[in-house]
Amino acid sequence: MEARSIPAALAPTAEGSRARTGAAAIPWPLAATVFAATSIIVGLIWDISWHISIGRDTSWTPAHMGIYLGGTLAGFANGFLVLKTTFRGTPAERAESVRFWGFRGPLGAFVSIWGAGAMLTSAPFDDWWHNAYGLDVEILSPPHTVLLLGILFVIGGACITALKAQNAAEAEGSGRAGTYRAIFAYAMGLLVTMGALAIWSDTRPYIGRSAHFYLYAAVPFPLMLAAAARGLRMRWPATTVALIYMLVFAGMGWILQPWPATPKLGPIRQEITHMVTLSFPLLLAVPAFAMDLAARAVAKRGATLQALAMGLAFFAVLVGVHWWFNAFMLSPLSHNPFFMGDHYPYEASPQSSWVRGEFLRLERTTADVVRGFGIAALVAVVSTRIGVAWGNWMRTVRR
Amino acid sequence: MGELDADGAPVNALSMRVRALARRAGLALTVIACALFGSAHVGTTDAFFDGMAGPFPLRVSVRMPGVIPGQAQITVRVLEGNARQVLVQAAQWNVGTKGAPAPEPAGLVTGAANTWSAPLWLMTRSSYMVNVTVEGPAGRGTVTLPVVAQSTSRLGMDRWMGYGLATLGALLVGGLLTLVGSAVREGGLPPGEEPDRRRRTRARVATSVAAGIAGLALLGGARWWESVYATCERYMYRPLASVGEVRGGATPGAPATLRFRVVDSLFFSARQTPLMPDHGKLMHLFAVREPAGDVLAHLHPTRVDSASFDAPLPPLPPGRYRLFADVVHESGLARTLVATADVPARGDRSAPKGFSSAGDDAWLAGGPSAGDAPLGDGLRLVWEDRGPFVAGADTALRFTVRDSAGAVAELEPYMGMGAHAMVMRDDGSVFVHLHPMGTISMAAQERLLRRERGDTALHGADQPTPAAGDAHAGHAADVRYPGTLTFPFAFPKAGTYRVWVQLKRGGAVRTAAFEARVR
Repeated sequence: MEARSIPAALAPTAEGSRARTGAAAIPWPLAATVFAATSIIVGLIWDISWHISIGRDTSWTPAHMGIYLGGTLAGFANGFLVLKTTFRGTPAERAESVRFWGFRGPLGAFVSIWGAGAMLTSAPFDDWWHNAYGLDVEILSPPHTVLLLGILFVIGGACITALKAQNAAEAEGSGRAGTYRAIFAYAMGLLVTMGALAIWSDTRPYIGRSAHFYLYAAVPFPLMLAAAARGLRMRWPATTVALIYMLVFAGMGWILQPWPATPKLGPIRQEITHMVTLSFPLLLAVPAFAMDLAARAVAKRGATLQALAMGLAFFAVLVGVHWWFNAFMLSPLSHNPFFMGDHYPYEASPQSSWVRGEFLRLERTTADVVRGFGIAALVAVVSTRIGVAWGNWMRTVRR
Repeated sequence: MGELDADGAPVNALSMRVRALARRAGLALTVIACALFGSAHVGTTDAFFDGMAGPFPLRVSVRMPGVIPGQAQITVRVLEGNARQVLVQAAQWNVGTKGAPAPEPAGLVTGAANTWSAPLWLMTRSSYMVNVTVEGPAGRGTVTLPVVAQSTSRLGMDRWMGYGLATLGALLVGGLLTLVGSAVREGGLPPGEEPDRRRRTRARVATSVAAGIAGLALLGGARWWESVYATCERYMYRPLASVGEVRGGATPGAPATLRFRVVDSLFFSARQTPLMPDHGKLMHLFAVREPAGDVLAHLHPTRVDSASFDAPLPPLPPGRYRLFADVVHESGLARTLVATADVPARGDRSAPKGFSSAGDDAWLAGGPSAGDAPLGDGLRLVWEDRGPFVAGADTALRFTVRDSAGAVAELEPYMGMGAHAMVMRDDGSVFVHLHPMGTISMAAQERLLRRERGDTALHGADQPTPAAGDAHAGHAADVRYPGTLTFPFAFPKAGTYRVWVQLKRGGAVRTAAFEARVR
């Protein structure tokens, strides 16, 4: 935890010359991969928004182009970096590389390349899938899972590349550490956004008083936030990363909502004149803050105890906050351009729980509720434990 | 399922997920096996239409996708007049055009004069109205075609595509394991250092663990895929279980009845709209003798209880008969039910060769005509273009009725139509009931238009308007049709087909049979 004691970490180091070296431009592969990750996330949010407002799409919608651009850029930039390191690398570059099937390059580059490869593989698979089982009807299908995994790895590669820079700068005491930390936090924020998108259909406000909502939220978020809490050397790492997610998610909504759109698929049950957004993000910063606090309290304990404290703190506050925030999001109070609570997909039935502003209870008995929340809490702890391990490993990444 | 209001047909992540959840949670959200509801015709759901849109005569084909949600392809040929623009729109029956995307211009097909084409997006397994609007100097006209969207086909994976995907998948898994190994072995090494034995061992352990997890994930993925496939299978179109039986007639001289009974409990689903008459009849029952297809009867059973339909059995030669029963629901969904019945030898009642009729019921005992088919009274039916036909290609079955002098004969309406045609592949895998206006059900067309006008004639309130009723029942006795008949159609697959044509003249329904070869 000593790293957290570095205040803001933007203060220049004593060694001016080194600071100047460190202050050189951000390495282009990092810049390219972070840009690629941003492009993919923007494209993905735009695409889901497109599907719930316009419905019909082709391979060449601007939203899809954003995703392709990101995947291609990540693949080519990191591929070039790997080829250069392998065949023309300086001894220094080769010294801080890892081996992969006879190639050499930074670990983050390989991770991003793998992600681009998975994205590429999902394309023909998804195309066949649509022909075999019907057009897009859900976010999570086997080919989409391959795609999402690929995206996760592209962004993960960006995280590792930023992380390596962060860790190296800190080891050298370079003044750029703060910048790299910020880039790393941003990449982690994109990763959390990605996780939020994958479970978006399962975390909508009208199921927000069923265990299902919390079970799904307990899968990606504790893992990613705990990894941030352990790996990101900031004062409030999980909170910061959660805030970045909220800002990206809400920001995309605010940007998209003024644009005119009409549904091109039926049945149309909502009057749509403008882009329907993904509504307001989850209030993830609050449980993330609880996780940060818990992480401090148990910083010196073993990883499993840390996971128990951080995971339960996260889960308890998540339930406490969202039990009420979901009610707010279902109420007319959220029907405004800020919260976008009335952004229903074009085919949402006026009789559906969501549109009527009612909770849909998926558990029938109290025993079901208790069991459901119990399982969700357990999942949160396990997810946190994996996140702690991942975060601990991230602190060590040097290549 | 066909009838279901769109709430039941998941079109987005929301409904799909929540429904899955609800099922798991045991909630009584109604998710009914959509597929078990049938489709019009057997072996094809494609729709063909010949008719007018305002001042413009059209020929329209709607090629349906194998799976729903999917894209149909509509092709509109404007036969006369200068069309400036053709607009198409698909609307789910129960939301109508109010809940449908705005009509969109179809694109001009290059190389084909006055032909326009566009995709239609059909998102739910249900009855749809397809509106075709033609605009030109002569004005603007719209025609509504009922089509039935059903999942009917399974898509296999091409062998090379399978190999390709498997290779890519293996590369991804191999790459993933290598990544895990590299990350553990070298990721944390300060620059320039070589991994020691401890790191190498840890990398091996991590790779093994990752391999185990990847294996489990792949297994899980396979299970997931299987469950998607199983769901898809469940939603696949299947005809409702039905049985046919001959009742009575055992003793010489006693009347016999052919009973068609739907035994599928889904027929009684609350989400199923009632049947309505088409051409004035609640059911059109076609009986074809197996295996040669050398006898055809077109009967009109009346309903004796909610699932049983009885028709007097005409004097048919004994044997096993394949039964095809066409019915139309008030949603506009037309479907063909399939069963078999054994017709016993019936003592004193001989089965005469050739065609006969009683009222609107008509039958023919006899194989296909090699040349022109004799229709009695000096009339003959000439098939103008016997093919060979090409599977999948838009075509038309063109016939001319000539009298003994060789002149084109006039026809009386037979159940509101100039003629009826039945097309059956010799193995029974395709059966379509056609009219000169095409494959579509007029009753469905009329019902969809009535709903569109705000008439919610749903659930038992079926009282055809007098005009429509007359036209369907063929009571407008002074109507005459020219003896030149064109049935727009496309044979769905290659093989040998039997084609029967039925028409009315001199108060008698006359039936002729032909054979068509399709490449």
